Amino acid sequence: MKLWVRAVYFVRSAWSGIRMSPITSAIGAVTIGISLLLLGAFALLVENMEGVLYKLGDELFVTAYLEAGLGAEEQQQLAALVGTVEGVESVRLVDQAEALERFRTGVGRGAALLEGLSSNPLPASLEITLVPERRSAGGMAIVVDSIDGLEGISDLTSGRDWVEGYLRAVGLVRGIGYGLGAILALATLLIVANTIQLAVFARRDELEILALVGASRSFMQTPFLLEGLLQGAAGGAMALLLLFGLFQLVLPGFEFGLEFVLGGVQPHFFAPGQSLVMVAAGAGLGFFGSAAAVAGSWRS
Amino acid sequence: MFHVSKSYEAGSFALRDVSLEFGRGEFVFLTGPSGAGKTSLLKLIFAAERPSEGQIVVLGRNIARLGAAVVPDLRRRIGVVFQDFKLLPKRTVEENVALALDVVGTPRRESRAKVFAILKQLGLQHRRYHHPLSLSGGEQQRVAIARALVNEPEILLADEPTGNLDPDLTVDIMDLIASTATRGTTVVVATHEMGIVTRYGKRAIRLDQGRITEDRQAVAALS
Repeated sequence: MKLWVRAVYFVRSAWSGIRMSPITSAIGAVTIGISLLLLGAFALLVENMEGVLYKLGDELFVTAYLEAGLGAEEQQQLAALVGTVEGVESVRLVDQAEALERFRTGVGRGAALLEGLSSNPLPASLEITLVPERRSAGGMAIVVDSIDGLEGISDLTSGRDWVEGYLRAVGLVRGIGYGLGAILALATLLIVANTIQLAVFARRDELEILALVGASRSFMQTPFLLEGLLQGAAGGAMALLLLFGLFQLVLPGFEFGLEFVLGGVQPHFFAPGQSLVMVAAGAGLGFFGSAAAVAGSWRS
Repeated sequence: MFHVSKSYEAGSFALRDVSLEFGRGEFVFLTGPSGAGKTSLLKLIFAAERPSEGQIVVLGRNIARLGAAVVPDLRRRIGVVFQDFKLLPKRTVEENVALALDVVGTPRRESRAKVFAILKQLGLQHRRYHHPLSLSGGEQQRVAIARALVNEPEILLADEPTGNLDPDLTVDIMDLIASTATRGTTVVVATHEMGIVTRYGKRAIRLDQGRITEDRQAVAALS
Protein backbone atom coordinates (compact mmCIF):
# COMPACT_ATOMS: atom_id res chain seq x y z
CA MET A 1 0.00 0.00 0.00
CA LYS A 2 2.74 2.41 0.99
CA LEU A 3 4.61 1.64 -2.21
CA TRP A 4 1.55 2.54 -4.24
CA VAL A 5 1.02 5.73 -2.20
CA ARG A 6 4.63 6.70 -2.81
CA ALA A 7 4.38 5.93 -6.54
CA VAL A 8 1.33 8.21 -6.78
CA TYR A 9 3.18 10.94 -4.87
CA PHE A 10 6.23 10.65 -7.15
CA VAL A 11 4.13 10.86 -10.32
CA ARG A 12 2.18 13.84 -8.94
CA SER A 13 5.35 15.55 -7.86
CA ALA A 14 7.09 14.94 -11.21
CA TRP A 15 4.06 16.19 -13.09
CA SER A 16 3.87 19.27 -10.90
CA GLY A 17 7.57 19.90 -11.60
CA ILE A 18 6.91 19.76 -15.34
CA ARG A 19 3.93 22.10 -14.96
CA MET A 20 5.96 24.54 -12.89
CA SER A 21 8.61 24.94 -15.62
CA PRO A 22 6.90 23.96 -18.87
CA ILE A 23 9.39 25.71 -21.15
CA THR A 24 12.52 24.07 -19.76
CA SER A 25 10.73 20.73 -19.69
CA ALA A 26 9.66 21.19 -23.31
CA ILE A 27 13.24 22.03 -24.30
CA GLY A 28 14.42 18.76 -22.75
CA ALA A 29 11.73 16.73 -24.50
CA VAL A 30 12.26 18.43 -27.88
CA THR A 31 16.03 17.91 -27.66
CA ILE A 32 15.54 14.22 -27.03
CA GLY A 33 12.94 14.14 -29.81
CA ILE A 34 15.28 15.71 -32.40
CA SER A 35 18.14 13.36 -31.47
CA LEU A 36 15.92 10.33 -31.68
CA LEU A 37 14.39 11.51 -34.96
CA LEU A 38 17.84 11.55 -36.57
CA LEU A 39 18.84 8.26 -35.00
CA GLY A 40 15.48 6.73 -35.87
CA ALA A 41 15.90 7.75 -39.52
CA PHE A 42 19.24 5.95 -39.64
CA ALA A 43 17.83 2.93 -37.85
CA LEU A 44 14.91 2.81 -40.27
CA LEU A 45 17.26 2.93 -43.27
CA VAL A 46 19.41 0.12 -41.83
CA GLU A 47 16.30 -1.88 -41.00
CA ASN A 48 15.05 -1.62 -44.58
CA MET A 49 18.48 -2.35 -46.07
CA GLU A 50 18.72 -5.48 -43.94
CA GLY A 51 15.22 -6.35 -45.14
CA VAL A 52 16.56 -6.26 -48.71
CA LEU A 53 19.21 -8.81 -47.81
CA TYR A 54 16.63 -11.04 -46.17
CA LYS A 55 14.22 -10.84 -49.07
CA LEU A 56 16.84 -11.27 -51.80
CA GLY A 57 18.23 -14.23 -49.91
CA ASP A 58 15.42 -16.30 -51.41
CA GLU A 59 16.62 -15.43 -54.87
CA LEU A 60 20.32 -16.00 -54.25
CA PHE A 61 21.71 -19.17 -55.74
CA VAL A 62 25.06 -20.50 -56.87
CA THR A 63 25.62 -21.37 -60.54
CA ALA A 64 28.19 -24.07 -61.36
CA TYR A 65 29.17 -24.16 -65.05
CA LEU A 66 30.03 -27.64 -66.31
CA GLU A 67 32.96 -28.62 -68.48
CA ALA A 68 32.15 -28.94 -72.14
CA GLY A 69 32.96 -32.59 -72.64
CA LEU A 70 30.54 -34.07 -70.08
CA GLY A 71 27.82 -36.36 -71.30
CA ALA A 72 24.21 -36.16 -70.09
CA GLU A 73 24.66 -39.06 -67.66
CA GLU A 74 27.81 -37.53 -66.15
CA GLN A 75 26.00 -34.22 -65.78
CA GLN A 76 23.17 -35.97 -63.90
CA GLN A 77 25.67 -37.76 -61.66
CA LEU A 78 27.45 -34.48 -60.92
CA ALA A 79 24.13 -32.80 -60.10
CA ALA A 80 23.32 -35.63 -57.71
CA LEU A 81 26.76 -35.33 -56.09
CA VAL A 82 26.41 -31.56 -55.58
CA GLY A 83 22.99 -32.21 -54.08
CA THR A 84 24.66 -34.11 -51.23
CA VAL A 85 26.90 -31.16 -50.24
CA GLU A 86 25.95 -29.75 -46.85
CA GLY A 87 24.02 -26.51 -47.17
CA VAL A 88 22.58 -27.34 -50.58
CA GLU A 89 18.80 -27.47 -50.67
CA SER A 90 18.26 -28.42 -54.31
CA VAL A 91 20.13 -28.67 -57.62
CA ARG A 92 18.66 -28.08 -61.03
CA LEU A 93 20.52 -29.10 -64.17
CA VAL A 94 20.28 -26.57 -67.01
CA ASP A 95 21.54 -28.31 -70.15
CA GLN A 96 23.03 -26.52 -73.15
CA ALA A 97 19.76 -26.45 -75.04
CA GLU A 98 17.86 -24.83 -72.14
CA ALA A 99 20.66 -22.33 -71.61
CA LEU A 100 20.45 -21.34 -75.29
CA GLU A 101 16.69 -21.01 -75.11
CA ARG A 102 16.95 -18.82 -72.00
CA PHE A 103 19.50 -16.63 -73.72
CA ARG A 104 17.38 -16.30 -76.78
CA THR A 105 14.26 -15.30 -74.88
CA GLY A 106 15.77 -13.60 -71.88
CA VAL A 107 18.14 -11.11 -73.51
CA GLY A 108 16.58 -8.49 -75.72
CA ARG A 109 18.87 -8.89 -78.70
CA GLY A 110 20.00 -12.40 -77.82
CA ALA A 111 18.43 -13.91 -80.90
CA ALA A 112 20.33 -11.55 -83.20
CA LEU A 113 23.62 -12.28 -81.45
CA LEU A 114 23.18 -16.00 -81.94
CA GLU A 115 22.49 -15.75 -85.65
CA GLY A 116 25.27 -17.24 -87.72
CA LEU A 117 26.62 -19.53 -84.98
CA SER A 118 26.91 -23.10 -86.14
CA SER A 119 27.11 -24.65 -82.66
CA ASN A 120 25.75 -23.86 -79.16
CA PRO A 121 28.48 -21.92 -77.27
CA LEU A 122 26.68 -21.89 -73.92
CA PRO A 123 27.76 -24.39 -71.26
CA ALA A 124 25.43 -26.59 -69.25
CA SER A 125 25.15 -25.51 -65.63
CA LEU A 126 23.82 -26.47 -62.22
CA GLU A 127 21.59 -23.99 -60.41
CA ILE A 128 22.20 -24.65 -56.76
CA THR A 129 19.69 -23.40 -54.22
CA LEU A 130 20.97 -23.10 -50.66
CA VAL A 131 19.19 -24.01 -47.45
CA PRO A 132 17.83 -20.78 -45.80
CA GLU A 133 20.59 -20.75 -43.15
CA ARG A 134 23.26 -20.52 -45.86
CA ARG A 135 21.64 -17.61 -47.75
CA SER A 136 24.20 -15.07 -46.68
CA ALA A 137 27.67 -14.03 -47.81
CA GLY A 138 29.36 -16.22 -45.22
CA GLY A 139 27.03 -19.18 -45.71
CA MET A 140 27.38 -18.96 -49.45
CA ALA A 141 31.17 -18.95 -49.18
CA ILE A 142 31.12 -22.24 -47.22
CA VAL A 143 28.99 -23.99 -49.86
CA VAL A 144 31.01 -22.54 -52.77
CA ASP A 145 34.25 -23.74 -51.18
CA SER A 146 32.78 -27.26 -50.85
CA ILE A 147 31.70 -27.42 -54.49
CA ASP A 148 34.71 -25.66 -55.99
CA GLY A 149 37.23 -28.19 -57.30
CA LEU A 150 34.75 -30.99 -57.95
CA GLU A 151 35.69 -32.76 -61.16
CA GLY A 152 33.52 -31.64 -64.11
CA ILE A 153 32.92 -28.08 -62.83
CA SER A 154 34.71 -25.39 -64.79
CA ASP A 155 33.50 -22.26 -63.06
CA LEU A 156 31.32 -21.05 -60.18
CA THR A 157 29.41 -17.79 -59.86
CA SER A 158 27.29 -16.56 -57.01
CA GLY A 159 25.79 -13.34 -55.63
CA ARG A 160 28.42 -13.44 -52.88
CA ASP A 161 30.32 -10.36 -54.04
CA TRP A 162 27.09 -8.39 -54.32
CA VAL A 163 25.95 -9.54 -50.91
CA GLU A 164 29.30 -8.63 -49.36
CA GLY A 165 29.25 -5.18 -51.00
CA TYR A 166 25.71 -4.55 -49.82
CA LEU A 167 26.60 -5.72 -46.32
CA ARG A 168 29.47 -3.24 -46.31
CA ALA A 169 27.04 -0.49 -47.31
CA VAL A 170 24.65 -1.54 -44.52
CA GLY A 171 27.58 -1.62 -42.09
CA LEU A 172 28.65 1.87 -43.20
CA VAL A 173 25.17 3.30 -42.67
CA ARG A 174 24.94 1.51 -39.33
CA GLY A 175 28.40 2.79 -38.32
CA ILE A 176 27.43 6.38 -39.19
CA GLY A 177 24.25 5.82 -37.18
CA TYR A 178 26.22 4.56 -34.16
CA GLY A 179 28.72 7.44 -34.36
CA LEU A 180 26.01 10.02 -34.76
CA GLY A 181 24.03 8.27 -32.03
CA ALA A 182 26.91 8.45 -29.57
CA ILE A 183 27.48 12.17 -30.22
CA LEU A 184 23.77 13.02 -30.11
CA ALA A 185 23.18 10.89 -27.02
CA LEU A 186 26.00 12.67 -25.21
CA ALA A 187 24.75 16.11 -26.26
CA THR A 188 21.21 15.17 -25.28
CA LEU A 189 22.31 13.85 -21.90
CA LEU A 190 24.08 17.13 -21.22
CA ILE A 191 21.06 19.21 -22.21
CA VAL A 192 18.65 17.05 -20.18
CA ALA A 193 21.06 17.13 -17.24
CA ASN A 194 21.11 20.94 -17.38
CA THR A 195 17.32 21.09 -17.65
CA ILE A 196 16.90 18.91 -14.56
CA GLN A 197 19.61 20.79 -12.71
CA LEU A 198 17.61 23.97 -13.30
CA ALA A 199 14.53 22.20 -11.97
CA VAL A 200 16.42 21.10 -8.85
CA PHE A 201 17.62 24.67 -8.35
CA ALA A 202 14.13 26.09 -8.86
CA ARG A 203 12.76 23.71 -6.21
CA ARG A 204 15.58 24.01 -3.67
CA ASP A 205 13.22 25.59 -1.07
CA GLU A 206 10.87 22.66 -1.38
CA LEU A 207 13.78 20.22 -1.05
CA GLU A 208 14.99 22.01 2.06
CA ILE A 209 11.54 21.74 3.63
CA LEU A 210 11.17 18.12 2.60
CA ALA A 211 14.51 17.34 4.24
CA LEU A 212 13.32 19.12 7.39
CA VAL A 213 10.18 17.04 7.65
CA GLY A 214 12.13 13.80 7.24
CA ALA A 215 12.20 13.04 3.52
CA SER A 216 14.92 10.60 2.55
CA ARG A 217 17.34 11.43 -0.25
CA SER A 218 15.72 8.90 -2.59
CA PHE A 219 12.29 10.35 -1.78
CA MET A 220 13.48 13.79 -2.85
CA GLN A 221 15.42 12.58 -5.91
CA THR A 222 12.89 10.16 -7.40
CA PRO A 223 10.48 12.83 -8.74
CA PHE A 224 13.35 14.44 -10.66
CA LEU A 225 14.36 11.09 -12.16
CA LEU A 226 10.74 10.50 -13.10
CA GLU A 227 10.56 13.99 -14.58
CA GLY A 228 13.56 13.19 -16.81
CA LEU A 229 12.04 9.85 -17.72
CA LEU A 230 8.71 11.46 -18.68
CA GLN A 231 10.47 14.15 -20.72
CA GLY A 232 12.46 11.44 -22.49
CA ALA A 233 9.43 9.27 -23.19
CA ALA A 234 7.59 12.32 -24.56
CA GLY A 235 10.61 13.11 -26.76
CA GLY A 236 10.76 9.50 -27.96
CA ALA A 237 7.03 9.47 -28.77
CA MET A 238 7.37 12.79 -30.57
CA ALA A 239 10.30 11.47 -32.64
CA LEU A 240 8.34 8.33 -33.49
CA LEU A 241 5.30 10.30 -34.66
CA LEU A 242 7.42 12.71 -36.70
CA LEU A 243 9.35 9.86 -38.29
CA PHE A 244 6.11 8.08 -39.14
CA GLY A 245 4.70 11.30 -40.59
CA LEU A 246 7.83 11.84 -42.70
CA PHE A 247 7.75 8.19 -43.76
CA GLN A 248 4.17 8.54 -44.98
CA LEU A 249 4.34 12.03 -46.45
CA VAL A 250 7.86 12.52 -47.74
CA LEU A 251 8.81 8.99 -48.81
CA PRO A 252 6.90 9.00 -52.10
CA GLY A 253 9.08 11.91 -53.29
CA PHE A 254 12.22 9.84 -52.83
CA GLU A 255 11.05 6.74 -54.64
CA PHE A 256 13.85 6.82 -57.20
CA GLY A 257 16.63 7.11 -54.61
CA LEU A 258 15.10 4.41 -52.47
CA GLU A 259 14.72 2.15 -55.50
CA PHE A 260 18.50 2.52 -55.92
CA VAL A 261 19.21 1.63 -52.29
CA LEU A 262 16.48 -0.90 -51.62
CA GLY A 263 15.98 -2.43 -55.08
CA GLY A 264 12.45 -3.61 -55.55
CA VAL A 265 11.80 -4.05 -51.85
CA GLN A 266 8.89 -2.00 -50.49
CA PRO A 267 10.12 0.18 -47.60
CA HIS A 268 8.41 -0.54 -44.29
CA PHE A 269 8.14 1.32 -40.95
CA PHE A 270 9.23 -0.01 -37.57
CA ALA A 271 7.26 -2.89 -36.09
CA PRO A 272 5.28 -2.04 -32.88
CA GLY A 273 8.01 -3.59 -30.71
CA GLN A 274 10.72 -1.52 -32.41
CA SER A 275 8.58 1.62 -32.01
CA LEU A 276 8.36 0.91 -28.29
CA VAL A 277 12.15 0.56 -28.16
CA MET A 278 12.42 4.08 -29.61
CA VAL A 279 10.15 5.54 -26.92
CA ALA A 280 12.03 3.52 -24.29
CA ALA A 281 15.35 4.87 -25.63
CA GLY A 282 14.01 8.40 -25.12
CA ALA A 283 12.89 7.53 -21.60
CA GLY A 284 16.32 6.04 -20.91
CA LEU A 285 18.10 9.17 -22.17
CA GLY A 286 15.87 11.34 -20.00
CA PHE A 287 16.38 9.12 -16.97
CA PHE A 288 20.17 8.98 -17.19
CA GLY A 289 20.38 12.70 -17.96
CA SER A 290 18.40 13.52 -14.85
CA ALA A 291 20.34 10.96 -12.80
CA ALA A 292 23.56 12.78 -13.72
CA ALA A 293 21.95 16.13 -12.83
CA VAL A 294 20.57 14.91 -9.52
CA ALA A 295 23.88 13.34 -8.52
CA GLY A 296 25.69 16.60 -9.41
CA SER A 297 23.15 18.79 -7.62
CA TRP A 298 23.26 16.75 -4.41
CA ARG A 299 27.06 16.75 -4.41
CA SER A 300 27.12 20.52 -4.66
CA MET B 1 23.45 16.35 25.59
CA PHE B 2 26.89 15.75 27.16
CA HIS B 3 29.73 18.27 26.92
CA VAL B 4 28.70 19.33 23.45
CA SER B 5 30.67 21.90 21.50
CA LYS B 6 30.00 23.13 18.01
CA SER B 7 32.53 25.01 15.97
CA TYR B 8 32.02 26.23 12.40
CA GLU B 9 35.52 27.72 12.13
CA ALA B 10 38.69 26.79 13.96
CA GLY B 11 38.84 28.63 17.28
CA SER B 12 35.32 30.05 17.02
CA PHE B 13 32.61 28.19 18.97
CA ALA B 14 28.85 28.49 18.45
CA LEU B 15 28.37 26.18 21.46
CA ARG B 16 30.95 25.35 24.09
CA ASP B 17 30.79 22.42 26.52
CA VAL B 18 26.99 22.36 26.80
CA SER B 19 25.40 19.61 28.89
CA LEU B 20 21.60 19.41 29.07
CA GLU B 21 18.76 17.00 29.53
CA PHE B 22 15.12 17.45 28.52
CA GLY B 23 12.37 15.24 29.93
CA ARG B 24 9.42 13.84 27.97
CA GLY B 25 6.60 16.41 27.77
CA GLU B 26 8.83 19.16 29.15
CA PHE B 27 8.42 22.74 27.88
CA VAL B 28 11.74 24.57 27.75
CA PHE B 29 12.75 28.02 26.57
CA LEU B 30 16.21 28.71 25.16
CA THR B 31 16.97 32.37 25.67
CA GLY B 32 19.84 34.68 25.04
CA PRO B 33 20.90 37.40 22.62
CA SER B 34 21.41 36.92 18.89
CA GLY B 35 24.45 34.74 18.24
CA ALA B 36 24.22 33.09 21.66
CA GLY B 37 23.96 29.62 20.09
CA LYS B 38 20.20 28.99 20.37
CA THR B 39 19.71 28.09 16.71
CA SER B 40 22.87 25.96 16.66
CA LEU B 41 21.55 23.99 19.61
CA LEU B 42 18.22 23.37 17.88
CA LYS B 43 20.02 22.35 14.68
CA LEU B 44 22.00 19.79 16.62
CA ILE B 45 18.82 18.31 18.05
CA PHE B 46 17.23 17.70 14.63
CA ALA B 47 20.54 16.58 13.14
CA ALA B 48 20.91 19.50 10.73
CA GLU B 49 24.39 19.82 12.24
CA ARG B 50 26.76 17.39 13.96
CA PRO B 51 28.54 18.28 17.19
CA SER B 52 32.26 19.04 16.92
CA GLU B 53 32.74 17.48 20.36
CA GLY B 54 30.56 15.62 22.86
CA GLN B 55 27.50 13.39 22.47
CA ILE B 56 23.83 14.15 21.87
CA VAL B 57 21.23 11.46 22.37
CA VAL B 58 17.84 12.33 20.86
CA LEU B 59 14.98 9.82 21.06
CA GLY B 60 17.51 7.10 21.79
CA ARG B 61 19.84 7.92 18.89
CA ASN B 62 23.31 9.39 19.16
CA ILE B 63 23.41 12.34 16.76
CA ALA B 64 27.22 12.35 16.67
CA ARG B 65 27.24 8.84 15.22
CA LEU B 66 24.00 8.94 13.25
CA GLY B 67 24.30 7.66 9.65
CA ALA B 68 22.94 9.98 6.94
CA ALA B 69 20.35 7.36 5.97
CA VAL B 70 18.88 7.33 9.49
CA VAL B 71 18.51 11.13 9.81
CA PRO B 72 15.12 11.22 7.98
CA ASP B 73 13.68 8.64 10.40
CA LEU B 74 14.69 10.84 13.33
CA ARG B 75 13.30 14.00 11.73
CA ARG B 76 9.91 12.37 11.20
CA ARG B 77 9.64 12.21 14.98
CA ILE B 78 10.56 15.88 15.41
CA GLY B 79 8.49 18.88 14.35
CA VAL B 80 10.31 22.13 13.59
CA VAL B 81 8.87 25.66 13.39
CA PHE B 82 10.91 28.59 12.05
CA GLN B 83 10.66 32.34 12.36
CA ASP B 84 10.37 32.66 8.55
CA PHE B 85 7.69 29.90 8.44
CA LYS B 86 9.38 28.04 5.54
CA LEU B 87 6.18 27.51 3.58
CA LEU B 88 6.02 26.84 -0.15
CA PRO B 89 4.26 29.81 -1.77
CA LYS B 90 3.04 27.88 -4.82
CA ARG B 91 1.39 25.16 -2.74
CA THR B 92 -1.89 25.52 -0.89
CA VAL B 93 -2.09 25.46 2.89
CA GLU B 94 -3.35 21.89 2.71
CA GLU B 95 -0.46 20.81 0.47
CA ASN B 96 2.10 22.52 2.69
CA VAL B 97 0.85 20.72 5.78
CA ALA B 98 0.53 17.43 3.89
CA LEU B 99 4.26 17.47 3.01
CA ALA B 100 5.06 15.99 6.42
CA LEU B 101 2.58 13.17 5.77
CA ASP B 102 3.74 12.59 2.18
CA VAL B 103 7.25 11.70 3.33
CA VAL B 104 5.94 8.93 5.58
CA GLY B 105 3.73 7.53 2.82
CA THR B 106 0.35 8.40 4.32
CA PRO B 107 -2.45 7.54 1.85
CA ARG B 108 -4.08 10.58 0.25
CA ARG B 109 -7.48 10.20 1.90
CA GLU B 110 -5.99 9.70 5.37
CA SER B 111 -3.61 12.58 4.79
CA ARG B 112 -6.44 14.94 3.86
CA ALA B 113 -8.40 13.93 6.95
CA LYS B 114 -5.41 14.48 9.23
CA VAL B 115 -4.60 17.83 7.63
CA PHE B 116 -8.20 18.95 7.99
CA ALA B 117 -8.24 17.90 11.66
CA ILE B 118 -5.07 19.80 12.56
CA LEU B 119 -6.12 22.88 10.57
CA LYS B 120 -9.47 22.84 12.35
CA GLN B 121 -7.68 22.59 15.68
CA LEU B 122 -5.65 25.67 14.73
CA GLY B 123 -8.69 27.50 13.33
CA LEU B 124 -7.47 27.41 9.74
CA GLN B 125 -9.76 24.85 8.09
CA HIS B 126 -11.46 27.55 6.01
CA ARG B 127 -8.04 28.57 4.63
CA ARG B 128 -6.91 25.15 3.45
CA TYR B 129 -7.15 25.90 -0.28
CA HIS B 130 -5.47 29.30 0.06
CA HIS B 131 -1.84 29.96 -0.77
CA PRO B 132 0.46 31.07 2.07
CA LEU B 133 1.10 34.54 0.67
CA SER B 134 -2.62 35.35 0.89
CA LEU B 135 -2.54 34.68 4.67
CA SER B 136 -1.52 36.97 7.53
CA GLY B 137 1.78 36.40 9.37
CA GLY B 138 0.00 34.75 12.29
CA GLU B 139 -1.93 32.44 9.97
CA GLN B 140 1.24 31.50 8.12
CA GLN B 141 2.94 30.62 11.39
CA ARG B 142 -0.06 28.52 12.40
CA VAL B 143 0.26 26.66 9.08
CA ALA B 144 3.92 26.02 9.88
CA ILE B 145 2.90 24.75 13.33
CA ALA B 146 0.23 22.55 11.73
CA ARG B 147 2.90 21.03 9.46
CA ALA B 148 5.17 20.44 12.45
CA LEU B 149 2.39 18.81 14.50
CA VAL B 150 0.45 16.84 11.90
CA ASN B 151 2.70 13.80 12.40
CA GLU B 152 2.24 13.95 16.18
CA PRO B 153 5.97 14.41 16.85
CA GLU B 154 7.65 13.45 20.09
CA ILE B 155 9.65 16.68 20.06
CA LEU B 156 8.62 20.13 18.83
CA LEU B 157 11.39 22.65 18.16
CA ALA B 158 10.55 26.28 17.50
CA ASP B 159 13.18 28.82 16.49
CA GLU B 160 11.95 32.36 17.25
CA PRO B 161 8.40 31.35 16.26
CA THR B 162 6.95 34.74 17.10
CA GLY B 163 9.81 36.88 15.82
CA ASN B 164 7.78 38.18 12.87
CA LEU B 165 4.45 38.56 14.67
CA ASP B 166 2.71 41.39 16.51
CA PRO B 167 2.16 41.00 20.31
CA ASP B 168 -1.47 39.76 20.10
CA LEU B 169 -0.57 37.04 17.64
CA THR B 170 2.51 36.17 19.68
CA VAL B 171 0.32 35.10 22.60
CA ASP B 172 -1.97 33.06 20.31
CA ILE B 173 0.94 31.23 18.73
CA MET B 174 2.72 30.60 22.03
CA ASP B 175 -0.50 29.26 23.59
CA LEU B 176 -0.75 26.83 20.69
CA ILE B 177 2.84 25.67 21.11
CA ALA B 178 2.47 25.41 24.88
CA SER B 179 -0.66 23.27 24.52
CA THR B 180 1.31 20.59 22.64
CA ALA B 181 3.53 20.04 25.69
CA THR B 182 0.47 19.11 27.73
CA ARG B 183 -0.12 16.23 25.29
CA GLY B 184 3.30 14.69 26.04
CA THR B 185 5.38 16.37 23.35
CA THR B 186 8.71 17.78 24.48
CA VAL B 187 8.77 21.43 23.38
CA VAL B 188 11.91 23.53 23.00
CA VAL B 189 11.39 27.17 22.02
CA ALA B 190 14.30 29.45 21.18
CA THR B 191 13.43 33.10 21.77
CA HIS B 192 15.04 36.35 22.77
CA GLU B 193 11.69 37.80 23.94
CA MET B 194 11.90 37.63 27.72
CA GLY B 195 8.26 38.72 28.06
CA ILE B 196 7.13 35.37 26.67
CA VAL B 197 9.46 33.45 28.96
CA THR B 198 8.16 35.29 32.01
CA ARG B 199 4.54 34.84 30.91
CA TYR B 200 4.71 31.03 30.76
CA GLY B 201 7.03 30.50 33.72
CA LYS B 202 8.56 27.36 32.22
CA ARG B 203 12.13 26.13 32.44
CA ALA B 204 14.41 28.66 30.76
CA ILE B 205 18.00 28.01 29.71
CA ARG B 206 20.03 31.09 29.00
CA LEU B 207 22.87 30.88 26.50
CA ASP B 208 25.56 33.48 26.00
CA GLN B 209 28.43 33.12 23.57
CA GLY B 210 27.74 29.41 23.27
CA ARG B 211 27.78 28.66 27.00
CA ILE B 212 24.92 28.00 29.41
CA THR B 213 24.85 30.92 31.82
CA GLU B 214 21.60 30.04 33.60
CA ASP B 215 19.23 27.07 33.79
CA ARG B 216 16.15 28.29 35.64
CA GLN B 217 13.59 25.63 36.49
CA ALA B 218 9.89 26.15 35.90
CA VAL B 219 7.94 28.42 38.22
CA ALA B 220 4.21 29.10 38.33
CA ALA B 221 3.02 31.06 35.34
CA LEU B 222 2.31 34.70 35.90
CA SER B 223 -0.90 34.72 33.99
